[in-house]
Amino acid sequence: MATVAEASHKDRILASPLARRLAKQAGLDLGSLQGSGPHDRIIKRDIEAALGVGRDGASAGQAVATVPGRAFAAVPALSDEKILALYDKGAYKILPHDNMRKVIAERLTIATQTIPHFYLSVDCRLDDLMRARERMNAASPHEGPRAYKLSVNDFIIKAMALALQEVPAANATWTEGGMLRHRYSDVGVAVAVEGGLFTPIIHQAEVKSLSEISNEMRDLAKRARKRRLAPHEYQGGTTSISNLGMYGIKSFDAVINPPHATILAVGTAERRAVVVGESIAPATVMNVTLSCDHRVVDGATGAALLGTFKAFIEDPVRMLV
Amino acid sequence: MTSRDYDIVVLGAGPGGYVAAIRAAQLGFRTAIVERAHLGGICLNWGCIPTKALLRSAEIFRMCGRANEFGVTRGGKTRVDLKTLVGRSRTVAGELNTGVGFLLKKNCVDVIWGEARIVGPGKLAVRKLKKASEHTEPSAPKDALGPGDYAAQHIIVATGARPRVLPGLEPDGKLIWTYFEAMQPPAIPKSLLVIGSGAIGIEFASFYCALGADVTVVEILPEILPAEDAEIAALARKAFEKHGIKIFTDTKVVDLEKEADAVTATIEFGDGKRQTIKTERAISAVGVVGNVEGLGLEELSVTIDKETIVADGLGRTNVPGIYAIGDVAGAPMLAHKAEHEGVVCVEAIKRLNVHGLDKLRIPGCTYSDPQVASVGLTEDKAKAAGRQVRIGRFPFRANGKAFALGEREGLVKTIFDANTGELIGAHMVGAEVTELIQGFVIAMQLEATEEDLMRTVFPHPTLSEMMYESVLAAYGRAIHIPPAAGR
Repeated sequence: MATVAEASHKDRILASPLARRLAKQAGLDLGSLQGSGPHDRIIKRDIEAALGVGRDGASAGQAVATVPGRAFAAVPALSDEKILALYDKGAYKILPHDNMRKVIAERLTIATQTIPHFYLSVDCRLDDLMRARERMNAASPHEGPRAYKLSVNDFIIKAMALALQEVPAANATWTEGGMLRHRYSDVGVAVAVEGGLFTPIIHQAEVKSLSEISNEMRDLAKRARKRRLAPHEYQGGTTSISNLGMYGIKSFDAVINPPHATILAVGTAERRAVVVGESIAPATVMNVTLSCDHRVVDGATGAALLGTFKAFIEDPVRMLV
Repeated sequence: MTSRDYDIVVLGAGPGGYVAAIRAAQLGFRTAIVERAHLGGICLNWGCIPTKALLRSAEIFRMCGRANEFGVTRGGKTRVDLKTLVGRSRTVAGELNTGVGFLLKKNCVDVIWGEARIVGPGKLAVRKLKKASEHTEPSAPKDALGPGDYAAQHIIVATGARPRVLPGLEPDGKLIWTYFEAMQPPAIPKSLLVIGSGAIGIEFASFYCALGADVTVVEILPEILPAEDAEIAALARKAFEKHGIKIFTDTKVVDLEKEADAVTATIEFGDGKRQTIKTERAISAVGVVGNVEGLGLEELSVTIDKETIVADGLGRTNVPGIYAIGDVAGAPMLAHKAEHEGVVCVEAIKRLNVHGLDKLRIPGCTYSDPQVASVGLTEDKAKAAGRQVRIGRFPFRANGKAFALGEREGLVKTIFDANTGELIGAHMVGAEVTELIQGFVIAMQLEATEEDLMRTVFPHPTLSEMMYESVLAAYGRAIHIPPAAGR
């Protein structure tokens, strides 16, 4: 139970004097910002990020969060006025958008308006993977820095990273000037957080071991939920994975997270009856759906990527080579 | 895992390296540090610390010359005992060197003695130092590990920098010195040419001038202390010239002729005219270059640009698992910048710290007489960046403590963004300013505005009151200087 002191501490917004003044001058609500200074204090950098302006000095390595560019304005289907007119006053309350919500709205609107999506779906048998996972987890040290607990999702990250290396045409980004062919598989993983989602990235997942991926992912997800990620930890990436399996979703289509060319929507792993040879046998099956940016990935390329992914997932030993 | 597998190995035990190693150990990493010559690096053994010891002697000598002014009389003539003076400087360095070894040991950081080469991802080969230069005095601390193969998940390169050698001005250790020789002179030369007027050149010029040498400084750029605010540098120049240092700016040394016990320099002024200067000795202080060679970096395709390793704000190079901090990772080449980069780098590996160092908040200090200290943008740079500025100036001659100390020359200058009240630069020249600047650095780091500084109580009587008054002056509110004419 929160004491009064805790509650009032929570209400107090930590912000530097300069940040307060800059926010006031720009008409920004400090309450809508997430601080990146010590103890989550809002500092100048956060105000500049919110306003979409760069730093004044050339300061090495200071990634500036890309939060709503001012040039962009989503075209609303209906004006706010018209929407409000459809409901009785008092039948709703208005919650102001926070920054994360604005970013999600902007980026996904851009994605659906500018990226020609198509979808490929395939079932993967997980029986071998489940057995391998069980044996690997049993072999983990009980504690210490080298302990791990692999999830199915860790295998999916690794398989996607390796598949992208085998089908490099799909590890790419569309730009007007030319195709960016990426050298590394930087795999973003959607993490639901209160009020939205983050997509932290496992960089160079193709060279990392499953336990490294697993521990890194656990750390990223934990910090994503606390909104303690640095911009370089969620910006960029070459593909992403959205897994709704834990909610029992059988299959779904995901919206590509620009500037990626693909996103893999992962459904739940369930026991199903499958035809093996001439008989029917029980098996653990998971459906995955790959959304492709048709400017980058054509049907056959997408199918090759998904086929390679499936081969890794169904025979996980291959990921060790 | 063998006993030679580490989480982090740091190459180089200078201020960047040993601080990174201690921070790594604090965070629970299995840590080792490789050093080939001396714990504490150049800073502690041949740089920051021993020169401060020398300059302290020079200060005392100069104050003795002023003793009568303060009502203190001494019998006989004040003399310099050069052997004791240099010996004290070496002792100070030696004591701190031992201190670094003690700290590493107490933090369970393994010291590996030798020269390291990165032979593959995460792999190091450490060899015995092939040829010890006369300055390295290699002596391994007790308990140090020896040559061999070592493995580390993360390798932090902190190998520092060495004096830049310009063709024609090659130091020979006898007539043409670098800071190594200049720090332990066998005798005070009657005359001395200092080539380069950065912090190192100016400190030596100040030191030798105080001890009676006839000092000439040659700087290729239009003003001495080129990194400093032009107004402050000009004031410092006036003070140096008053002490008797001859200064030629916008001038280059085109030839340096060695004789038996003297050098003759041909200098060329901005207008093309030439002149020769004969001095007993010359100091080459034309900057430093990163120690990037022989580490195996080229083979691993680590990006190197202009003799420094290219690293991002968290010390990461283009090759995963290899990091660079401090001088070898680029300007500003300052010990405190290296220390902070070391901490940031290690905390980023631990995923604690995700923001790089803001280079506009790194102070710089020159320990000449008078001292110079600064942080942030100079007036020229602020204006070039298109900032509208408010500038405050407060002179030493209006401060009570400066009067009492008998130090009336100097200035504290503050630069604010006129629109936001952000403190974007602070520049000082005068006695003890190197100890004052930190107040403004904290203000910048905490993002104080002019209002916060004006509400801060500064103790009286102190030199720090000038900082307060300078802030007030930027807003036309200074108490102890008359309002500007016409108001």
